[in-house]
Amino acid sequence: MHKTMWRCGHWVMARDYQWRRLNQVMALNQALRVVFPLILLGSLADLVIRGWLTPTGYYYQTLHVENWCPQRARLEQGLLLLQNGAVGLASLGLAIVVSFYLVRQVTRSTDDQLTAGLLAGLTLQLVNVNPVSLQPHHAPAWLAMNLGWHGILAGLVVGLLVGNLYRIGVRIWSSPLDATLRPITLGSLGGLGVATVSGGWLLAAPFTVRAAFNAWLRLPLSFPTGWGQLASFSLLNGAMTWCGTLGALPTTSGQTVAATQNLAAVLGSAHWQVPHVLTVQTVIQTYASMGGPGMALALLLAIFLVRQNAAQRRIGWLSLVPVLGNFNAPLLVGLPVIWRPLLGIPLLLAPLACVSISSLALAFHWVPATAYPLAVSTPGPFLSFLGSGGSLRALLLAIVNLALATAIYYPFVKGDAAVDRRLAEEAKRDATSDELA
Amino acid sequence: MRHLTSWRSFGLIIGLVVLLGVPGLLWRSHQVAVVRATYKSPVAPVILVPGSSATQNRFNALVKELNGQTKTQHSLLRVEVKTNGHLVYNGAIRHGDKRPFIVIGFQNHHDGAVNIRKQARWFAIAFRALQRTYHFNHFSAMGHSNGGLVLTLFLENDLAATGATADRLMTIAAPFNLEQASATVETPLFKQLVAGRDRLATSLIVYSIAGSKSYTGDGIVPFASVNRGKYIFQKRVRSFTQIIVSGANANHAHLPENRQIVRLIRQDLLV
Repeated sequence: MHKTMWRCGHWVMARDYQWRRLNQVMALNQALRVVFPLILLGSLADLVIRGWLTPTGYYYQTLHVENWCPQRARLEQGLLLLQNGAVGLASLGLAIVVSFYLVRQVTRSTDDQLTAGLLAGLTLQLVNVNPVSLQPHHAPAWLAMNLGWHGILAGLVVGLLVGNLYRIGVRIWSSPLDATLRPITLGSLGGLGVATVSGGWLLAAPFTVRAAFNAWLRLPLSFPTGWGQLASFSLLNGAMTWCGTLGALPTTSGQTVAATQNLAAVLGSAHWQVPHVLTVQTVIQTYASMGGPGMALALLLAIFLVRQNAAQRRIGWLSLVPVLGNFNAPLLVGLPVIWRPLLGIPLLLAPLACVSISSLALAFHWVPATAYPLAVSTPGPFLSFLGSGGSLRALLLAIVNLALATAIYYPFVKGDAAVDRRLAEEAKRDATSDELA
Repeated sequence: MRHLTSWRSFGLIIGLVVLLGVPGLLWRSHQVAVVRATYKSPVAPVILVPGSSATQNRFNALVKELNGQTKTQHSLLRVEVKTNGHLVYNGAIRHGDKRPFIVIGFQNHHDGAVNIRKQARWFAIAFRALQRTYHFNHFSAMGHSNGGLVLTLFLENDLAATGATADRLMTIAAPFNLEQASATVETPLFKQLVAGRDRLATSLIVYSIAGSKSYTGDGIVPFASVNRGKYIFQKRVRSFTQIIVSGANANHAHLPENRQIVRLIRQDLLV
């Protein structure tokens, strides 16, 4: 059994190693590294806004921020500007940088690299316009910065699409007569093509990219109330996170109704009994999202349990504050977990295990279901304690979940660190041989 | 040594998590009060109060008109409060209807300041009974003519004791200074309403609509009396808007069926 697992682990690590050596993946990782500071800044701003400055925030409620923070509204406005700017630019930046690095792998021409990058940026801008504002004699309403955390995926996809199309152009037209001729031609043709496609999309579809994406996500998630549905929800959430849809999935009206009915039942009765025991709030938000979707707090703990992983630890320390407030974006982008198979496995498995154990405990009434609203930025293990009106059994279950999730993450983080070391050694060897040559 | 550093970092993070949880542990004793204070029930009825000489059937046509104009059909419950405080129900609230219409009328629906004060007390009895049955803790209300005065008296004197909050109030041709058109004469009821304005919730949104059939009023209520509402609501509630409606159906009795007012109810009260 142990031998099979050992073999299996090595097989997964070998595949991960091969995956990370792919040109497309290398461009993607480089781009994620470039936008990491923006993601970190956006997360910190988001944490302060939602955790400290809004009435639903944990620190706002527990530290009575409204009593001692002057100019709270102004501060919130300033931070919102920073948060929207940083996250919006990260999406746009990802499209530009991914496309830039993809073209860089096939040509040394800086003009081509920059043109490809700008073309990807233009594509993301053009498809994200409010269609209602497209009227004759009126300036269109650009929604460039409205994509939020879900825009990371849009940035990656557009970058890959435009970058690869430009690469094909470079390969077909490998020896232009003049160095500036190819970027001018491909840039102009690409711009026209993008304008045509986005114009067609906007005129045909009466909704924005964000609205379309949210509607698509909400479709299968309307009102999960059993273990199977919650497990599916958790897997979908994990898969979307792995693809780059950062932040929590949009709340559906069914989930809100269940949460409201649970709260109404608890407030209207002397006994702690809720009509909906297994819901997104009582299971996933309470027990399977510590540190953010994917049990990021467990990932952080696993990083600090593994040895010889200096790069992972650096990202861990930088992401510490946001993750303690359940904002996992810096950790997922910094390592990165996004589009990395080895870390994608525990990203799915850890929350799934927590969902299963918690559902069992709730279904058998070993712990009370959370009914009180969960304040934003509540430290992970305390979500269950505060949400259940101070149940120590709920706190204990949260600690068990956190320990289990950390144990699930540990071997994968260790394996990822080993692949990191192998790639770093290879890069070092290549650099030395280049110097010698 | 490295192994020790790993555990030290791990322990530090666990310590931080526990430390950040301390404010939550200390706040726990206040949590229930905070949750109760911020809790909004899913059901938030729209309570309609007719004016003098009108019964609980006064708004049948209005509700039908509103249901015809909105996507969701809301149920209608009519309640009559007898002079001895007993309630007579007619109609029902459909299960799952979050914004039902509840019309509260009075057996003694005669005019006069004394009666209006009585009707406000009867209204409070009906409100408490409805709150117990339908478990709501917030609502919006519309009062036509003296119905607006009944609601204002209730909001000032009895609402706080119910634990509920009023989201929006719309008064249609409410004679805050009764039939007085003079700008200098203040009726005792008006003085009472002004004296109680500090008990109005600061979160309340108020719309006061006046009909303008002639240049001075809607044929029954002088505009100057409706205009007195600003001394009660302005600079106290969250927002206070006065609207004057003219044209067809701008006379006092027809105001609830006035198309402009129906549109205002739909867009400002049923949100």
